[in-house]
Amino acid sequence: MSLGAVGAFLLVLIVVFVIGNLWFHFVESLLERIKHLLTSRRDPPAWHPLPPDEEKSRDE
Amino acid sequence: MGFFSKFFKGPEVDMEKSNANAKKMRLLFNQVVENGDSYRLIFGYTEDVARFNYGFVHGSKTKIGNLIVGWNESMQTIVVVPMVPDLSGCGDPTYYRRSEILKAYRNKYPTDAFIIYPDKKGYIGINAYDWLEDESLYVYVSQEEELAAFTDFFMNQFATK
Repeated sequence: MSLGAVGAFLLVLIVVFVIGNLWFHFVESLLERIKHLLTSRRDPPAWHPLPPDEEKSRDE
Repeated sequence: MGFFSKFFKGPEVDMEKSNANAKKMRLLFNQVVENGDSYRLIFGYTEDVARFNYGFVHGSKTKIGNLIVGWNESMQTIVVVPMVPDLSGCGDPTYYRRSEILKAYRNKYPTDAFIIYPDKKGYIGINAYDWLEDESLYVYVSQEEELAAFTDFFMNQFATK
């Protein structure tokens, strides 16, 4: 196999990888939007932050 | 000799960081659980693995949820509080009282998670280890002794089979 053929094969692999990634993120974003539309009316779950003075010492 | 022994020793736990995180876990837990000091704590996590097939792209996604797991031997109760790896906050607690749950056991495969079925509709699988180094996914805490105590409690007092 010539060096050019190996390079072309690698190029095809890279193109497949990039298109696959783009397709994955496209479908994921669509599903995320649909999920957001269906769940946006629900109340967000309760969240209790760490007490402020502890937050300060965490940043130091 | 000194160089190689250091090289092959592997990663070491930063106990200062671990103790600070354990303290924060306690603060968060006590904030949402009544009489929180009567519970012993460990860090645990859940794993949600979902398969996807988007045409020519398919694989699996894993979501990890961090938990503060508290247990009280005299009350035969396990409390699970969801939180985030940076310990900036936590959610509402869920109580699993032995007298109320459907079943509890320790899994063998694929992981040795602690499984609790509160009813027939769902279950929680709690994974826990002595120490997990990846701070972006897990809480940095060393808990060898506490994990051994929790395992003993779960296997000998809480498990139903």
